[in-house]
Amino acid sequence: MSDGPLTLTLNGKLRQFEKVPDSERLLDTLRWRAGLKGTKEGCRTGGCGACTVLVNGEPTLSCLLLSHEIDAEKVTTIEGLASEKIGRVVIKAFTEAGAVQCGYCTPGFVVALAAQLRGAGPPPSVESLLDGLEGNLCRCTGYRAIQKAVEAVHEALK
Amino acid sequence: MTRSDAEPKARGAVEYGTDLAAPHMLWAALVRSPIPHGRIVRMDLGPAREMPGVVAVVGPDDLRDLLPKGALEAERPVFPLDEIRYRGEPIAAVAAETLEQARAAAAAVAPELESLRVDARIEDIFPEWPSEAAAKDPRVVGHVHARYGDLDAKFRNAELVHSETYRTSGVHQVAIEPHACLAEVRDGTFHVRSSTQTPFGVRDDLASILGVPPSRLVVEGTWVGGGFGGKGAAFLEPYAVLLAVASGRPVKLSLTFEEEFELGRTTLPSIIRLDTAVSRGRIVGRRVRLLLDTGASLPGRDFAVGYSIGFLLGPYRTEAYEIEGFALQTNQPPFGPHRAPFAPQSVFALESHIDGLARRLGVDPIEFRKLHAWREGDRTAYDQPVGPFGLEAGLEAAARTAGVWRTGLPPGHGIGVACGFWSTATGAGGEARLRLRPNGLTILQGEREIGNGSVIRGLAAVAERVLGLPDDAIRVEYGDTATAPFDSGVFGSRTLGALGQAVEKAARSLAHTLASRVGAPAIRLEMKNDQVVVVAGRRRQKLADLLTPAERTAGGVVALGKHYAPERTVDASRVLAGTVYPYQDFTAAVHLAEVEVDRETGHVRVVRYAAFQDVGVAVDPPGLTGQVEGGVVMGLGTALSEEMLWTPEGRLANPGLLDYRLPRIRDVPPIHVKTIEGFAGAGPFGAKGVGEPPIIPVPAAVANAVADATGTRVFELPLTPERVARALKLL
Amino acid sequence: MSDRPPQRKAINRLLVEPSVSFQLVRPSTPEGAIRLLSQAGAGEIAVLAGGTDLSWDLDQARIAPIQVLSLGKLPWKYLRWENGSLVVGSTLPLRALELDPHVKRRLPGLWEAIRDVGSPALRSRATLGGNLGRCSPVSDLIPMLLAFDARVRIVGPNGAREHPVDMVLQESRRTSLGPAELIESVILPASGPSAYLWQRVQPVNDISQVGVAVAFVPERPHWHIALGGLQPRARRLSEAEAVLRSARPTRFEMELAAQEAARRAEFVSDKRATESYRRRLVAVLVRRAIQTTVERMPKPSPARKGTR
Repeated sequence: MSDGPLTLTLNGKLRQFEKVPDSERLLDTLRWRAGLKGTKEGCRTGGCGACTVLVNGEPTLSCLLLSHEIDAEKVTTIEGLASEKIGRVVIKAFTEAGAVQCGYCTPGFVVALAAQLRGAGPPPSVESLLDGLEGNLCRCTGYRAIQKAVEAVHEALK
Repeated sequence: MTRSDAEPKARGAVEYGTDLAAPHMLWAALVRSPIPHGRIVRMDLGPAREMPGVVAVVGPDDLRDLLPKGALEAERPVFPLDEIRYRGEPIAAVAAETLEQARAAAAAVAPELESLRVDARIEDIFPEWPSEAAAKDPRVVGHVHARYGDLDAKFRNAELVHSETYRTSGVHQVAIEPHACLAEVRDGTFHVRSSTQTPFGVRDDLASILGVPPSRLVVEGTWVGGGFGGKGAAFLEPYAVLLAVASGRPVKLSLTFEEEFELGRTTLPSIIRLDTAVSRGRIVGRRVRLLLDTGASLPGRDFAVGYSIGFLLGPYRTEAYEIEGFALQTNQPPFGPHRAPFAPQSVFALESHIDGLARRLGVDPIEFRKLHAWREGDRTAYDQPVGPFGLEAGLEAAARTAGVWRTGLPPGHGIGVACGFWSTATGAGGEARLRLRPNGLTILQGEREIGNGSVIRGLAAVAERVLGLPDDAIRVEYGDTATAPFDSGVFGSRTLGALGQAVEKAARSLAHTLASRVGAPAIRLEMKNDQVVVVAGRRRQKLADLLTPAERTAGGVVALGKHYAPERTVDASRVLAGTVYPYQDFTAAVHLAEVEVDRETGHVRVVRYAAFQDVGVAVDPPGLTGQVEGGVVMGLGTALSEEMLWTPEGRLANPGLLDYRLPRIRDVPPIHVKTIEGFAGAGPFGAKGVGEPPIIPVPAAVANAVADATGTRVFELPLTPERVARALKLL
Repeated sequence: MSDRPPQRKAINRLLVEPSVSFQLVRPSTPEGAIRLLSQAGAGEIAVLAGGTDLSWDLDQARIAPIQVLSLGKLPWKYLRWENGSLVVGSTLPLRALELDPHVKRRLPGLWEAIRDVGSPALRSRATLGGNLGRCSPVSDLIPMLLAFDARVRIVGPNGAREHPVDMVLQESRRTSLGPAELIESVILPASGPSAYLWQRVQPVNDISQVGVAVAFVPERPHWHIALGGLQPRARRLSEAEAVLRSARPTRFEMELAAQEAARRAEFVSDKRATESYRRRLVAVLVRRAIQTTVERMPKPSPARKGTR
């Protein structure tokens, strides 16, 4: 067993964690070392998307990723996104569209959607935005309200 | 109306069961049986206790020490005292400083087990409909039987008898949040925090499983990351409590998805045999037989059968019938409720059967159903009077939509209809305490919001409707089982209907109190400058000015509301064995599905969908729409892709999301949600619950649409491409 | 149940998997990586490209390596065009390939196959080299690589070599790579139109029951057909290819090729599909994939239209 220090730029701040086992997944580092529990633990097999975070801006399944694989890289979680403008727009749209029921999947959806909208220029098409959410499972809403939230975000950013 | 929990949830700022933590907390892991049936010959927990970081290990032999007064009920053992009954059954549990250490120690347990013969699958035990043989099989452990009318004569004289056999598979709730709880002992009291739909239910289950009085148990719910029936009884809590007792430290236990699947508590498979006698175009007699796999369940087997059977008769007038249901014991895990337990599967069989019969008779399927549909005042099969019921109105609305869809329907497409019914406002009862403060209203009650909005928004909407206060002046508060008034739980589409009535009564009592203080026949409330204002006719007074000095000190006027479900009865003379269940109210759902079937591969795509939901009164319209859409899509999973794949050896072949397939955002068709109002239910203002009804007709509607598109009926759920291809005789 | 004689057998295996601990090594040069591989004994080291599949093996304790060798720091995350061929560095995330407009236009079949691997968040880590190295019989990418006659550049202690992808594949989790060898890149030669079709229980995020890759290439034989969902590995079906003689085969020829493919391929029954259903699917999907490929051919000029 090996457990070296881990450095991450986490939500814009440089964070260092001591003695992180080499086998540890980013999901656990975020939730239990950094205390950022907004990233949710679901299936742990890459199937539900509840643990989606951004690594260097790319949506990534934190349950499948060894923390040390991204030493010194930029990680943005739902907590970080919620304080960005685009995060707030997406959260507002989900809230107003009735797209939040139990809410367990919601941070993952917000991250996966916001990831597609952080670039400059006009937003991708609604269809393309929905394609970007196909790794995220929601068991409550039947996705219709989430689709409405996506449309609302698209409209707001057009 | 925006829900107050939506924004914090979307930011990831609320605490679910999986997020629970406490100072000095230990992590737990379960030691699970690798065999589906057998006995523990020897199990030495010593090596596990010596592993690094391990603080406590508990197994069957520790129960008497840890719980000297424990009842150790054979019906609900924490660990198997006699037989291991399913693969994955917990046989010991470990608590350690880290989760990795707990898992490593659990893996170090090396029991000697003795295997017994495995009966894993209903289709291996009864490849054909077993008829009389079932009653004599030692594995058949429950029996429900009811009969009415001169059935033999009806069948003898029938012009046509329609006979079919259907099969359904087990489906999992798959809440995205795995089960999780945290237990600790404080001053001799067991405190459990848990992601549960039923805090009081968990408390009472724990009391009976552990043999401790309920007064020594406090259960506090967390935010729940989806329940769908799967979080409705004590499950992990007993293990966590035992480990907390053994270690003297707080213990957290949560499941992996693999454990979620292998520990079951899901809907289990069934075989359903239906025979229907028809004379002069009408159904005159029905024989309904059900063989339900109840897995390793011990308590509740008869309930499962008796409850399912009710749906197989359906909301149709029945002159003469015989129903018979059997519970089959297998080495699958115990069953558990899943959104509208037993209904989507039973209704798939019934509504496919009715649909096929209508087509065979050359009658429009909707008209055929209307001919037999219950109306208010009809009698159920067990002679209960049918209350206000929106089925006929739903069918008429569906017929209009089907007519529009039928015009210009592309080749390869088909339209299917199906009906479902449900009884809402069930459960023992609920209580709520309302406190009207000078700046708003708080509702204290014992449930947690599980996602459907029935607590955080539904209860507030009831108070809003009675008192006139806006939603943002109403706060729902959650107590634990020691501080909150009792409620049966968030299940059975009962929260709005039953707990909502407790809120309604308390709100009316507050209104009455204030009306008498201002000397008016009635009042309503408004908010002005963050102050509650009592309005009586043209008079307006601040609430603060109407309070007594004592009330001012206490923080406002208080009222307690109680609702206990009225007793309903069935005609016992019709029930020959087991128990059948009466209904609290009569809630209908009529669904239409349009599908496209790939005639070469058997792949089914749902093109569009319409749900006509009997709601009595729409108390929270956005929440209602969300429930119907969510129910329909969950039902599409049951219809098309979800199925627990058990091997003949009793192993689950798909214990996770890789081969257990849930609908995803791109699979969802447009869903038209229409409410049918005006047929009052048992809830406040005549409201009916809508959590479960919308899932019920979905598999049947899809199957009927496939039959419409192809002329071929599929007799087994789910309608995977391969099953449809076989029905189409493509292979 | 007590009336039945018990089968007495000691069992001491449990359903709890021990959590695996290992050392993660992240060399920044191919030489460093090869050296680490050379030094490790059999089963002691596991290679991690994107990790989206390997992490399952680790979670299930199917492997218990002492070291996990990450390729993440190697300079192999590239995509370039050389003489009409596409060269893909083995650790380039699939997402980068998917988002490249030239890939979508020039190799539509590859784009379709990539697009059908998991979800966007999975594809942001998963790699072509990793997919190939895992050699899963149900991979959606491997049939397409076979249809393109892709070549694989392999580096190891004895230098670099290049092989057709067909020679690299063996069975699930096994390739013909030596113990200290790594896939550096995959070379996809210039190709005409292509298509990838599959059947799944669920369209998105599911494992394909069968996958059918078709490419029309400049050299003979022009038609390449490869199937996934076979055991022990995906393969080309030259018998079916031989049926197709022109750039615009008739419906009858397409049907014949599909029937030939269905007849020749060795299928198995498993939890995802039975053998007979897979055979049926191939008979349909091969025809459709050829048809789709034909539809993607450059439109014939109006002058030639009458000659068809």
